[in-house]
Amino acid sequence: MIRLAFHNLFQNKIRFIISVGGVALAMTLILSLDAVFTGVERQITAYIDNSGADIFVSQKSVRNMHMTTSSMSRSVITDVEEIPGIEKVTPILYLTNMVVSGKERNLAYIIGLPENAPMGGPWKLFEGRSYPRTGETIIDRNIAQKSKIGIGDDVEILGRKFKVVGLSEETTNLVNSVAFISISDFIKLWGNSNSISYLLIKINPEKSSSDIAAQIEANVKNVTAQVTADFSSQERRVVKDMSTEVITMMNFIGFLIGLAVMALTVYTSTLAHRSEYGVLKALGAHNKHLYQTVISYSLLSVLIGLALGIMITFLLSIILTYLRLNLTLAISGVSLLKVSSASLVIAAISAILPIKQIAGLDPAMVFRGK
Amino acid sequence: MTSSTLRVSHVTKRYGKGITEINAVRDVSLSVAPGEIVLIMGPSGSGKTTLLSMLGAILKPTEGEIRLNGDVISAFAEDHLPEIRLRQFGFIFQDFNLLSALTILENVAIVAELAGMKRNFARKKGIDLLNGLGLGERLYFHPRKLSGGEKQRVAIARALINDPALILADEPTANLDSKIGHEIMKLLRNIAKEQNRSVIIVSHDQRIKDIADRILWLEDGQFKEMMSMAIDPICGMSVEREKAPATLEHEGATYYFCAKGCRDEFADNLKKNGVVGSMIF
Repeated sequence: MIRLAFHNLFQNKIRFIISVGGVALAMTLILSLDAVFTGVERQITAYIDNSGADIFVSQKSVRNMHMTTSSMSRSVITDVEEIPGIEKVTPILYLTNMVVSGKERNLAYIIGLPENAPMGGPWKLFEGRSYPRTGETIIDRNIAQKSKIGIGDDVEILGRKFKVVGLSEETTNLVNSVAFISISDFIKLWGNSNSISYLLIKINPEKSSSDIAAQIEANVKNVTAQVTADFSSQERRVVKDMSTEVITMMNFIGFLIGLAVMALTVYTSTLAHRSEYGVLKALGAHNKHLYQTVISYSLLSVLIGLALGIMITFLLSIILTYLRLNLTLAISGVSLLKVSSASLVIAAISAILPIKQIAGLDPAMVFRGK
Repeated sequence: MTSSTLRVSHVTKRYGKGITEINAVRDVSLSVAPGEIVLIMGPSGSGKTTLLSMLGAILKPTEGEIRLNGDVISAFAEDHLPEIRLRQFGFIFQDFNLLSALTILENVAIVAELAGMKRNFARKKGIDLLNGLGLGERLYFHPRKLSGGEKQRVAIARALINDPALILADEPTANLDSKIGHEIMKLLRNIAKEQNRSVIIVSHDQRIKDIADRILWLEDGQFKEMMSMAIDPICGMSVEREKAPATLEHEGATYYFCAKGCRDEFADNLKKNGVVGSMIF
């Protein structure tokens, strides 16, 4: 009976395209949305993940970077350096501002870096220098491209002109980018020489990051120390919290579209084959055989649609990479599991009405020429 | 094949209640012997379809009993009937009713698979049957590519695949031209006689009367008149006993012929073989 479902599915090409295409589009919608947000999550933590630090130290109770301010006294640097097991400490200054070039204004994390900082600088350079001196900046390559500027051009950051000396890669996301200036310029513009935003800490590889983080919190007052993975996870959570409702709503819409398309096509297919199901019933097929056919039909359509949806999303993610947009589609395992489960639910619900139709089918109809 | 007899005793089918009550079939009794071909004729609305549905275990009678192989199938629970239909009956329909998405081999094999036969065996049996019916070259064709006669032969193969005791045919020649219709009926007759299967045919088609052993006339849900048939010993055609164009009585037996020519040939043969005794023409 599964074979019959398979043949029925491919028999009417238009119905096949509508059902499989509809499901594929719905699945692409769900998958792409998930992939966009997974991509944003990954991009948004790119600076933290690629900083080279094992531990991030921030003002007490500050647990991430996005939409927060962290301010600690510079004395914290020496307090932290005294803790055994710590190899390097890099203080950075941070706030969110604009990189302005003419009429082009792009939101950016502005990072103030000490000269020759071993951590916290750009991790992938497209062109130029990887550390900024006084009056210099390193901005993201895509932002430079968008603003039609390059090495040697000027941009305005925190109300002052900086010369672009480097173009970094992987430092932009859907919301903002990362721009690096020297910590001395940052202090001058900020007007506060006694503060730092975060401490990036490298520890002895033989030591445990979480143990050292706990020691920092125990020995240094008014700070929060988190292992980089935890700090990154907190950052992701902020994005997730901000987008959960949107994702849920769009996923639900995608689910409803998929369900509507599938329910309609499985129903119309069952109606189209109604007389044939009647014949099978008259010949001696049990209802369970016919239910099996309808469920298989529904399941096959959904699975093909799902596979197509996954392929389209993968294709989109590749195309987006080539287009160099600030958008990355990252398809996660959880997302795949979610759409697969949604597909199964769609297949099951779509089969309910046709099954009821078949249950009420009178096999004697075959003798009435119906 | 299972040798069996269908016995229908005082079967009635009523629809509706009170003033809307309709007796579609009234107190019908019938017995069909193995290998016998029974043709049920009658005007539209006479109850033929209802009777056929009851004989094929699709519909349960309101009153009376239907026995197949001694089992009272009219008393079986609804959920047991598909099994009976699958294994004991072969159905042939007016519109062929082949599954359009399947090849003709799959159309035949699927019924065996439904009865629990393994796919490979079902296909092998289907191929044998279709080869036997002259469709060996068409195994992987879809029904839309076949002529009416070929489709009906596929339907016959499908009806035979589970070795049924009884074949029920509903207007099997209605969508066929006269020549092909006659060929299909001769095929059914051969199957009935060679394989000892009973065949019940419901039809309006007067041209197929000659293949039946017995013709029953159904009107207002009842058998009104029974026509008994005899086989012409010369040409093999079925002949209505009452309306036979020629008869011959010899040593207490009556022979029925489709034409005087057949009777004369029969009489000559008797003489040539030295048969003595009186012959009454």
